[in-house]
Amino acid sequence: MTDTLAEVEETVDAYLKRSYDAQRRHALTRCQGWDRTFLEEIADLGWFALAVPDEADGLGLPLSAVGAAMMSLGRHLVPGPLPERLLLPALLLRHLDGGGSDRSDLPGAVVALVDPAAHGSWSVDGGHVRGEPAGPAGSMLPVRFAREADLLLVVAESAEGTAVHLLSSRGPGVDVEPVESADPTARLARVTFAEPAGAGTAPVLTGSAAERFVTELRAWAQILAACELAGIAVGLVAETTAFVQVREQFGRPIGAFQAVKHTLADMYALASSLRNLCDVTLEDATSSSADELLMLAAVAKAYAADAAVRVCESAIQMHGGTGFTTETDLHLYYKRALALRAWYGDHEELTHRIGDNLLTGPQLAEPRSTS
Amino acid sequence: MTTMADPALAADLTQYRTQCRKWLAEARIPEVPLSLTERFRVLREWQHTLYEAGWIGIAWSREAGGQGLTHLHQLVFSEELARARAPQPIGLIGLDVVGPSIDRFGTLRQRTELLPRLLSGEDIWCQGFSEPEAGSDLSSLRTRAEIDGDDFVVSGQKVWTSWAHLASWCAMLVRTNLDAPKSRGISYLLVDMSSPGIVTRPLTQMTGDQEFCEVFLDRVRVPRENLVGELDGGWAIARHTLGTERAAYTLRRRVEYEVALQDAIDELSACPTRDADPRRGYRVRAAVGRSHVALRVLEAQTRKTIGRLAADTGPVPEDSVDKLLLNDIEQQVYGSIADLLGPLRATPAARPLGLDVARWAHDHLYSRAASIYGGSSQIQRNIIAERILGLPRD
Repeated sequence: MTDTLAEVEETVDAYLKRSYDAQRRHALTRCQGWDRTFLEEIADLGWFALAVPDEADGLGLPLSAVGAAMMSLGRHLVPGPLPERLLLPALLLRHLDGGGSDRSDLPGAVVALVDPAAHGSWSVDGGHVRGEPAGPAGSMLPVRFAREADLLLVVAESAEGTAVHLLSSRGPGVDVEPVESADPTARLARVTFAEPAGAGTAPVLTGSAAERFVTELRAWAQILAACELAGIAVGLVAETTAFVQVREQFGRPIGAFQAVKHTLADMYALASSLRNLCDVTLEDATSSSADELLMLAAVAKAYAADAAVRVCESAIQMHGGTGFTTETDLHLYYKRALALRAWYGDHEELTHRIGDNLLTGPQLAEPRSTS
Repeated sequence: MTTMADPALAADLTQYRTQCRKWLAEARIPEVPLSLTERFRVLREWQHTLYEAGWIGIAWSREAGGQGLTHLHQLVFSEELARARAPQPIGLIGLDVVGPSIDRFGTLRQRTELLPRLLSGEDIWCQGFSEPEAGSDLSSLRTRAEIDGDDFVVSGQKVWTSWAHLASWCAMLVRTNLDAPKSRGISYLLVDMSSPGIVTRPLTQMTGDQEFCEVFLDRVRVPRENLVGELDGGWAIARHTLGTERAAYTLRRRVEYEVALQDAIDELSACPTRDADPRRGYRVRAAVGRSHVALRVLEAQTRKTIGRLAADTGPVPEDSVDKLLLNDIEQQVYGSIADLLGPLRATPAARPLGLDVARWAHDHLYSRAASIYGGSSQIQRNIIAERILGLPRD
């Protein structure tokens, strides 16, 4: 991990250690991550501007910086539309004509993401968004923070190609219907596009420009999910290590029993290897071609989806009965990890895709060298 | 490694890699025979060829007969050797483990007499550490060495001693003090395998290979000048030996797994009936994908290992995380590939899905040893829990 990335991670971590305790986490999960005051507080810290280009008054760091921030946000389990705010404006501004000079609204906007690929092969069950000549059509369930967002970023694919729309969430032809959310960190909604949605507004990206954008969008969504999962895993290893040293049974700390020690050792190996994989992914992502980025992102997300959930489950087990209750925050971490696991493909789906790529796609398997 | 801190070293390694590739492209790479004695002979000749060309003892000092380069240069060569599908030299135990310990702790006479022959492949070394009653608990070893005049007289039994039946020397841990606490009564001796009183019996592995042996020692006389380091000071040397071996081993094996997966992908890609049944096609893709993910995890993990090797930190508890992952990933990769053999796994001459049954079934069985040798996975978990996480000792 480069010095800049380490600095971003530490800065975010230090702030959260100071200003974000369990009480705030509980308050934020009670409103399922939607708290304008909190979002303004974060905006004032400049985190949402990390990867926004200089020209748009951002800090101009590479997108990897967002990954570094997500590790700390995952470790402290901070709910809300944070991945969206950290990534989407920064990425859009990189791809829009003229550096998005006519989109000064973007850096401050809450943008919800309507991309069928987020749901993998389940997109059929969650509705299906597709491109029509007049604009996006169909519906998608669930969409994170669609009701609360200012803008919807819609990926509409059709036989003619890909189009990216940026629509007002309250605009004509857009129907946003809140649904009950079992994810304590996110509000969810069903988004339906009555035909023709967004009449009169052209897509912001089409053709090969849209395809380039969508490739990067999906790769970074996977990388950020992997980083957040790595944060969750690392955080729970630390928490569980502390717990087994104070919880006593049979007259000694349960951490003295080999069955417990070996479970903790496995949790540590999973969490630290996931962490290393994310570091390396962030380091390499900046200098990668589109094909390489796709592969890096899929690998990171595939491992994270499996490793972090296993760490959560072991953490719950090590906490005994308490781990199953809402007396600790383990259930919040676990539910967040489960939601992230399926976001843009889980272990099963992605390993299959990676294998397909290696067997039939471009040769991406040249072993990496030491130097 | 993209994070190489020193640009001059990075450029030097790149140039060195080019030299390795060029030499290997022109070299006559031997076929490895199945018969053990033939294999030993061919690989020993291969070591001699490599030695003459300056590819042996790359990170050894020039005084010891090596090339005086860094561990990273050695690693580059090992990687290129694996990629060229060329075998490792036969004397790896001497080169990676015993030699560096003699070089560091041995007397001038031991170094000057033994090391050149070890490098050239003239002497092949084995290592006599484990015993039937001293496996994970190595420091409870019982092979006894008593001083009698100018000699030690050694009696006892060693086991898992690779190549003992063909080796000319053995680096052996023996008990020289019965009164001291277990690890403080152990000495490190160099034993000539042609000495009277040594009997070796090869053990057959589940792969069918006979790489390692039991060694029986009955009043074997070993000159006192063959003691390395202090009397009763062998435990520190053993720890050094086991530590130096690990990082280099991890890095070399990683590349070998990657080469293996690439071979499997090549075999599978060339098979026209791969997707004949959609269920089978799905399994093939999943197995390849899973293996690739596992190897990327290992690659990410070992970038830190390379940093430690470059900084010469010596053994650290984090090595245990590497070892645990390495074992797990070796078993995942070979297990995933071998699972694709299906019922034809039992017929070594067959090629289901284009896969070479004899090779993949063999390598899968061999992978089961990974979590046992060099400190079992259970021992590594104890180290991680106690030394990294700070949980109470048993």
